[in-house]
Amino acid sequence: MFQNLIDKSMKKSPWLFHINAGSCNGCDIELVSVLTPRYDAERFGFHLTGTPRQADIVVVSGPITMQSRDRLIRTLAQVPEPKCVVSLGSCPRSGNVFKGSFAIDGPLEKYTHVDVSIGGCTPKPEAIVAGLAKAASILEEKRKAMRKGGIEAVRKMEAEAEKPDAETSGSTADAPAGEKAVKEAK
Amino acid sequence: MQVLLVAFHILVFPGLLFEILMGILLLGTCNKLVARMQNRVGPPIIQPWYDFLKCCGKETIVPRAANRNIYLGIPYVGLGIILSTALFIPFAGMKLVFGQSDLIVILYLLTFVSVCMIIGAAASSSPWAGVGLSREMVAMISYELPFVFVILAVAREAGRGTEAGMTFSLADIVAYQQTNGSFFLHPALIPAWIAMLFVIPCEIGMHPFDVAEAETEICEGTLAEYSGKPLAAFKLTHCVKLFVMTSLFAAMFCGGINTGIPVLNVLIVILICFAVMFVSMALPHGACARFKTEQVFRFYWTFVSGIALVGLILVWCGF
Repeated sequence: MFQNLIDKSMKKSPWLFHINAGSCNGCDIELVSVLTPRYDAERFGFHLTGTPRQADIVVVSGPITMQSRDRLIRTLAQVPEPKCVVSLGSCPRSGNVFKGSFAIDGPLEKYTHVDVSIGGCTPKPEAIVAGLAKAASILEEKRKAMRKGGIEAVRKMEAEAEKPDAETSGSTADAPAGEKAVKEAK
Repeated sequence: MQVLLVAFHILVFPGLLFEILMGILLLGTCNKLVARMQNRVGPPIIQPWYDFLKCCGKETIVPRAANRNIYLGIPYVGLGIILSTALFIPFAGMKLVFGQSDLIVILYLLTFVSVCMIIGAAASSSPWAGVGLSREMVAMISYELPFVFVILAVAREAGRGTEAGMTFSLADIVAYQQTNGSFFLHPALIPAWIAMLFVIPCEIGMHPFDVAEAETEICEGTLAEYSGKPLAAFKLTHCVKLFVMTSLFAAMFCGGINTGIPVLNVLIVILICFAVMFVSMALPHGACARFKTEQVFRFYWTFVSGIALVGLILVWCGF
C-alpha cells in the first residue's frame, strides 16, 4: 500500500532541474514565467530545485554546444532514477537556426532518451505546462515499471516509446489539434 | 492499561503521529498562504507529504568520496532527535517526559538537529555542501544568542517564587502561567515573545533566513548531494521542526490557557501554532527576498538580540 502511495505521489511532486545547453535564454525565461503567479505550475507540485540530485524532471534548453556537451552528460548522469528528460524549445530537438554550425553537437537524442519534447521558438507557457504535466505522468509510469522490473524495465519502456509509431514519441505538447486529427484519421 | 496509555501518548497523540501530521499541515498551510499572498493558487496543503513520499521512492545515490555510513545514517539520527524533542514540550498541558531543566535540554536537542545537518553535509564531500554548512553555522550562531536571552527571561519570570529564582522546567513554567496568567499578556515579556517570533524562522530555516539551503545560489547548500530516503528524512525533520518551534512558543508564552475542556484546549493550542506560523513564517516569506549571510548575522545580533536583551533586563529588574 505504501508503495502504491509512492507511485501516486510521483505525479504530484515532480521537481524540475533546468539545464541550459547553450540556449539563447528565451526558453529559460518562458520556463520561469511558468512558475510566476500567472501560470503557477507550483499548484501541480512543480518545484525548481537547485541540484540535479533532487530532480525528477530534467528540462534541457539550447542546441547542445560543444562547450556544454560534457557538462550536460555529467549532469544527466547525476539525476537519480526514475527520471524524465524534457527538451524545451526547438533547439535541443533539431538545432533550430543553429543547425549545421561547427559549434553545436546535437540533437539531444544522441545523449539520452527524451520523454517529452516541447516544440516552439520559444514555446508558449501553456505548452510548457502541458508538456511538464505529461512528463509527470510518464514519471509515474516509470516508477511503476521500476518497482516491478528494476531499471531494465524503465530502459525497455523508453526503447518502446522511441519506436516511430508509439504515441509518446515525437508528440509535441503544443499541437493537440494535430494529434487529435491523426487519431481520428486512424 | 497504563503501559498502553503511555504507548498511545508516545506514538499517536501528542507523540510521533501527531507531530508529523501537524508538521506537514503547518508547512503546507505556510506554502499555501505565501502563494495566496503572491496572488497564486499554490500547492495543495498536503504537498509536503507528497514530497516526502516521492523522495522515498527515488534512487539513493552516494557520492564516491562521501563517508557512506555517516552520510546515510545521520538524517535518521536528526529525525529521531527532533521527534523526541517534541516529547519534552507540554502540548496543552499534556507532557510525556518530565525533568528539572528540560528547557535547556530542548535548546541542546534543537542545536543537535542543526549539527546533524552540518555533519551530513560535511560527509557528502560536496563543495556546495561545504559552503552550505558554513552558512548553517553562521545562522546557528545568529539565532542562538537571542534564543538564550528569551529562555532566560522566561525562566526568571516563572521562577520568581522559587529558591533559585529561576526555573528551566517547562512544566513549572506552564503551571506558573496557569495561576498568574499567560506570559503573552505580561507587559515585561512582550519584547521576549517578539524576539522569539524572529528566532523561529531562522531556527527552522524558512525562506528569508534560509541562507544554508539557498537553492539558486549554492545548489541547495547542505542538501546538495542528498537524494532518495535520506533526503525524505531531512524534509520530514524540517516539517516536525516547524511544529516543535511553534508548540514551544505556545508552551512558553500561552501556557495559561485553560478552558477546563481538554479537547478545546488542544484546539486552541493548534490554533496558536497556526497563528505563530502565519506571523513568523508566512508573512516574512511572502514579503522578503532571501537575506545575505552577513545580513542575517547582523540582523540577529543587533536588532533581535537587542529586543531580547531589553526583555531580559525588564524581567530581571522586576517589572
